[in-house]
Amino acid sequence: MPTSASASDSSVAVSATLRQSDLLPRLASSDGVVQVKALRELKNRIIGNRTKKLSFIKLGLVPAVADILASKADAGDGRYSDLLIQSAAVVGSFACGFDAGVQAVLDAGVFPSLVRLLSHLDEKVVDAGARSLRMIYQSKLAPKYDFLQQKNMEFLLSLLNSENENVTGLGASIIMHSCETVAEQKALCQAGVLKKLISLLKGSLSQRDASLESLATIIKNNVEAVSEFVGSDSGRALRSVIELTKDRYPRTRLLASVCLIVIRNTCPCYLQDIGIKTKLVYLLLELHDDPGQVGDEASFAFSTLIAGSEDLQKLAFEANAIDKLYNHLQKGALHPKRVEGILLAMAELCSKLDSCRFKFISLKALDLVINGLTQDSAGVRAAACICLKSVSRSIKSLCAGDFMNEMIVIPLVQLLDDSCTSVQLSKSMDSDLRLNALWALRNLMFLADSASKESIFGELEASSLASLVSDSEPLVQEQALALVRNLVDGCVNCIEFVFAENGIILDAVGRHLQSIPKVEIGIQGMYLLCNVASGNEFHKEAVMHQLVPQAENGTQSFMIKFLQSSDSQLRTAAVWTIINLTFPSVPGAFGRLVKLRNTGIISQVKSMVNDPCLEVKLRIRTALAQFMTSDDGSI
Amino acid sequence: MPVRVVESSAPSQLSEGANSVQTSPQACTLLSVGQTFSGTQNVSGLQKDEAWRVNVCIQGCDLEHGYLCGTMEALNVPMADTPVVTFWEGEIVDTKNYTFFTGKWEATPEDDIRHWTKFSSFNPLLSQVEVDGGKSLDLSTCPYIFMRWKEQYFVNVGTDCGLTIAGFYYVCFSCSDGSINGFYYDPNSSPFQKLELKSTNEGRSGFSFSSYALR
Repeated sequence: MPTSASASDSSVAVSATLRQSDLLPRLASSDGVVQVKALRELKNRIIGNRTKKLSFIKLGLVPAVADILASKADAGDGRYSDLLIQSAAVVGSFACGFDAGVQAVLDAGVFPSLVRLLSHLDEKVVDAGARSLRMIYQSKLAPKYDFLQQKNMEFLLSLLNSENENVTGLGASIIMHSCETVAEQKALCQAGVLKKLISLLKGSLSQRDASLESLATIIKNNVEAVSEFVGSDSGRALRSVIELTKDRYPRTRLLASVCLIVIRNTCPCYLQDIGIKTKLVYLLLELHDDPGQVGDEASFAFSTLIAGSEDLQKLAFEANAIDKLYNHLQKGALHPKRVEGILLAMAELCSKLDSCRFKFISLKALDLVINGLTQDSAGVRAAACICLKSVSRSIKSLCAGDFMNEMIVIPLVQLLDDSCTSVQLSKSMDSDLRLNALWALRNLMFLADSASKESIFGELEASSLASLVSDSEPLVQEQALALVRNLVDGCVNCIEFVFAENGIILDAVGRHLQSIPKVEIGIQGMYLLCNVASGNEFHKEAVMHQLVPQAENGTQSFMIKFLQSSDSQLRTAAVWTIINLTFPSVPGAFGRLVKLRNTGIISQVKSMVNDPCLEVKLRIRTALAQFMTSDDGSI
Repeated sequence: MPVRVVESSAPSQLSEGANSVQTSPQACTLLSVGQTFSGTQNVSGLQKDEAWRVNVCIQGCDLEHGYLCGTMEALNVPMADTPVVTFWEGEIVDTKNYTFFTGKWEATPEDDIRHWTKFSSFNPLLSQVEVDGGKSLDLSTCPYIFMRWKEQYFVNVGTDCGLTIAGFYYVCFSCSDGSINGFYYDPNSSPFQKLELKSTNEGRSGFSFSSYALR
């Protein structure tokens, strides 16, 4: 019953608090024996219990332990060893797998004291300090070391050279946590860290694992470091990592695979052997069977292995990866991290090959993804969206309407809050949001009916579109132009969109094309003008107005620059526009031909009759044939 | 009709692709996504003489994989109340992903040759195709794109509509004017049903191009 349960809860809480508060004076006691006893009791109470950790943190017990460490850490003799070992163990326990605990430990200033323990004469104290620091280094909150500073590098090397495996393990953890830039990777290699880590591959289980993980950090995306590693000991280092993929411990197998994936992804010239690739695919799929962290992490490693590589995706498909991942996902009651990882792996598998997408759809795996769209975990929801995006790249399935059901569309729209979110986002201050929103709208407007175009255009407004065309980000400009290009395609009346608000969009496009930051912008802008120029007399004249600079201005039309571009797609788009402007049997064609001749555009077109690109050459022929039709002998 | 276009003039200063060994057909805007075509398919048999009006829209194109897909709408199909829309996938003969030999769909190399030779633009390629299916041909300068279109499913009617999509089309697309010619092949249907399509521009005085891009 709710009432009695609540009463008993509060009495438990009261008695617990009484006992906790009793610990505080005991920790502050002047009697070392009392302190050690209190520390042991505290350690036993908080171990693996987040609620208790949090309540003891609130009671201020962490600073009390920090005081013991700070006051006794420098005592070189063995008198306080037990006290220091127990204090370090308590601190490590607070920090273990619990970010609030790590924060409390760091706030209490324990970190420097723990580091001092590493130079203690008593090996057991050193070990306790190293264990505790390793707990802290499992968290993102741990302090970073700048390896470009000599003293930090010396400290790291002293750790790696230690005989104590927790200390070397700590060194490896610090590398994984702190090494982020190529400069740091280089500094570590130059200081001999790579060699040291390679030697640790022959060490104990924990040293091996730590070494594999740090090696991956140091060589990731660093061609030089990978080459140094691969060349080490005449290739023996690489061979030993390959050997470790057969180790009896799943974690070691996983870490060795990750290391090999990093090597392959950084320098595709290595590990090209089909045998290794196949082996990694099977191994990572098999590691999914591990019920713990290794299984959770296996799918993320699998994703990085097959990312962007059609060959590997094919291999994975042949290894029944879709069925295997689907079977795992079907089990239910999985940790959200694992669900997220599997959905991302599925997304990667379906990113290129239709065969994978069909397999995925035939297994009805889509139902599990739809389920993921409404999960509590934001990571799972995001992964479900990415997976859906990847599977829906199959035009065959899209045309069959496989994704057009309310089970998918409703949660997706809900994730966006409302259907106008893309439009709102397109005006966001964040350029990534603007880009993604415009990209979505551009694809939505591909072959869209007039009513959908009207509604999106009504929401966006001409002035906003005009400013997006001239956005500060070139990628945004490109998508904005592509969006308008699609808007004015289809029914002839749609061309009118660019004439809204006194032609503000068309003017912005014309101005923008005068100097383009990248060729893709020229291509989209030119096709936009081409589509407008396929309309009636008024539309064609408006495009002419943008192309042909006023005589007194004296500037060269951007059309000439585009026709002379080294990019054949841009040349093609430009010639199509000329074809539309001089389209025969339209009354003003001849007048426009004369104007184009006067700006030098026609002679440029004529000079391109042997363009190296077949498509351009064919379009030039069409244009020249049209000129002949309109020509009265004066062109 | 010229197929292999040989450059007779001095090379231009634009030398893109000059060093790469590109033997696949080049991209053609008239065969890009969003482009539409209309025309007829002649379904004349021994006892009947009729033609269905046909509209085609290109929905997807992936030249890297020699892949094209789209929808095909047959308008005046006698046994259907509404226009019948099918989804088709195309194999572009690019010598890399696909050759002139079909190797499936009950089409022997002899069937292939018999159909391809119906296109006059194919004749200059015939002798090489007979040797290796055209694997060693350079199609990058050919102003025609040869394809096979295979209907995969009915979009708006059930499979019980009395129509079949068991066969496939041998298709020849002209890059110059965007016209499409094709022959339907199905051992169980009337032979050589001819498909003739022209690029359409929806009442415009010119050509219009839309696009999408998947990320």
